[in-house]
Amino acid sequence: MDVVRDVLDKSVIDRNGREMGRVDGILVELRPNQPVHLTAVLIGPAALGDRLHPAVGRLVRLIERSFGVDQDRPARIAFAGIDAIDTKIRLRMTITETAVAAVEQRLRSWVLRLPGSR
Amino acid sequence: MRKLFNLALGIVTSIGGFVEVGSISTSVQAGAEFRFSLLWAVAAATMFLAALAEMAGRVAAVSKRSMAAAVRERFGFHFQIVPLGAEFIIDTLLLTAELGGAAIAVKMLTGIGFQWGVLPLGLVAWLVLWFGNFTVIEDGVGLLGIVTLSFVVAAWQLHPDVAPIVRGFVPSIPHHDLTRYAFLAVSIVGATVSPYLLNFYASGAIEEKWTAEDLWINRLTAWCGMGFGSAVAMGCLVTAAIVFGPQHLKVDTYEQAAQMFVPVYGRWAVALFALSLGIGCFGAAVEIALNAGYVLGQAFGWTWGIDKKRRDVSRFVAAFSVVLLLGVGIATIGFDPLRVTLISVALTVVIMPLVVLPFLVLMNEEEYVGTHTSGPLGNGLLATLTVLGALMAIVVIPLEIFGG
Amino acid sequence: MTREVRLDRLVGREVYTANHRRLGRLEECRAERRGTGWVITEYVIGAAGLMERLGLGVRLIVGLERAAGYVARWDQLDLSNPDRPTLKCAIEDLQRR
Repeated sequence: MDVVRDVLDKSVIDRNGREMGRVDGILVELRPNQPVHLTAVLIGPAALGDRLHPAVGRLVRLIERSFGVDQDRPARIAFAGIDAIDTKIRLRMTITETAVAAVEQRLRSWVLRLPGSR
Repeated sequence: MRKLFNLALGIVTSIGGFVEVGSISTSVQAGAEFRFSLLWAVAAATMFLAALAEMAGRVAAVSKRSMAAAVRERFGFHFQIVPLGAEFIIDTLLLTAELGGAAIAVKMLTGIGFQWGVLPLGLVAWLVLWFGNFTVIEDGVGLLGIVTLSFVVAAWQLHPDVAPIVRGFVPSIPHHDLTRYAFLAVSIVGATVSPYLLNFYASGAIEEKWTAEDLWINRLTAWCGMGFGSAVAMGCLVTAAIVFGPQHLKVDTYEQAAQMFVPVYGRWAVALFALSLGIGCFGAAVEIALNAGYVLGQAFGWTWGIDKKRRDVSRFVAAFSVVLLLGVGIATIGFDPLRVTLISVALTVVIMPLVVLPFLVLMNEEEYVGTHTSGPLGNGLLATLTVLGALMAIVVIPLEIFGG
Repeated sequence: MTREVRLDRLVGREVYTANHRRLGRLEECRAERRGTGWVITEYVIGAAGLMERLGLGVRLIVGLERAAGYVARWDQLDLSNPDRPTLKCAIEDLQRR
């Protein structure tokens, strides 16, 4: 598997096929005298910001916190939690078991206040 | 049978969405200053747009990914951030111009001041997106947009000589003001091949759940739809050429442009022009705002879709709402919509190579187009378009300065 | 000492030879399953990886021959300083791409 081509920036879906976002970053573990170990994928705008520049990532985290999104962000999903890597990355878990939907849920509470929100 | 009906509807509604502030301003000015000799630019730009739209539709139908999604996955975020950022800026400017154009139309119809008209228009656009669904928006905008056929009817009623019109489809060197001519030609391309149209078209293909079986529908919708739409732009150009051409009039305002309907529609001239301008611009504004939601949602991996329950797509809703707010805000400041249009058109041309280049790659990858890859002809066309796009990108800023 | 770093911090970095010459950019990491996890077994260095990412279409049109690139095994690259990946072997020991 080619990590950059096949994993990074790809769509992620949960066990039930629900869209979870995209692989915005990948964490690896450097071990002396051993091959590099793929640890986790990161999902969330802070991870994207980090890719541009660490300061951008920090700014995004700040904005998220000011919106009241306090959970550990960006969401971290261990590679062990990945079921299949195909045109989309399918996880073994459901979206509610992760911190992925935090921003969506926060905004949802505002959207629900608007009249006629169906 | 149902598919044929939808196809016909798709083509008809493309007429409505095609003509908006960019194409009206460039067509009117082209006709007024150079008579029929820029018709080839409208035709060429339309073919450019149709070819790219068909390709975007093909990727969407086969791989279920819009352009924004495909570019993110194939080229990565580092590449995408540049065209994405640029597109966002251009789309916001274009939205501002469309709202401005619609506000001017409202002023022509009711006398309500330009800056007062923008906010209610923005609100109505938001309500359409909040309560509507894809069918209502697409078909509604399209059907209302049939009023823009008044440009075609006007051109027809003026009984122009056929010979000079036919000659207008062959590129030629003008007798005067070459820089202005070149500037208008490039602006026509920029006004026609808006990047938002490509992603919007692809997103529509996904909302309509097209599959690889629907590729023939995609081809017909892209080519016939854009083709019919361009007939309206050409009608506008021809009418302006006949009415303003003889006096070599430089048209600077929409109020002035409305006069081109007088010989055909008499006292209905201003109202009909205003309706055409207003509906065309309003429809485009709705589509641009919606597309902002599409692009950001697809690039960042949010749940998106105008047919979904709004509470399930909060970030998508936030995106189109914020963009509308920005557009309304900037338009209310009172910038001349004609000037904002020309700036966004020029910027569109500058990033055109970055928009076309991904197609060159995606059209040859099985993962995105299955077995329907581009043949040598298609690749040759794309390569030519990329080179042309790059050439135009280089000359557009100097042309804007000297010919704008 | 194990360290956790972001892969995108490694990818795109210039890779240096043992005598501090620039070799090319780290463009891609090839991984394999080992037990329950994944490990990186090879690194693609140089223009080759970039060409792979840009793809067939561009090569068809622009007619560029695949530029020289290298593939390094995991044990041929020293990542103790992730900001400056360095070869642990001679260039000749690398596979060509």
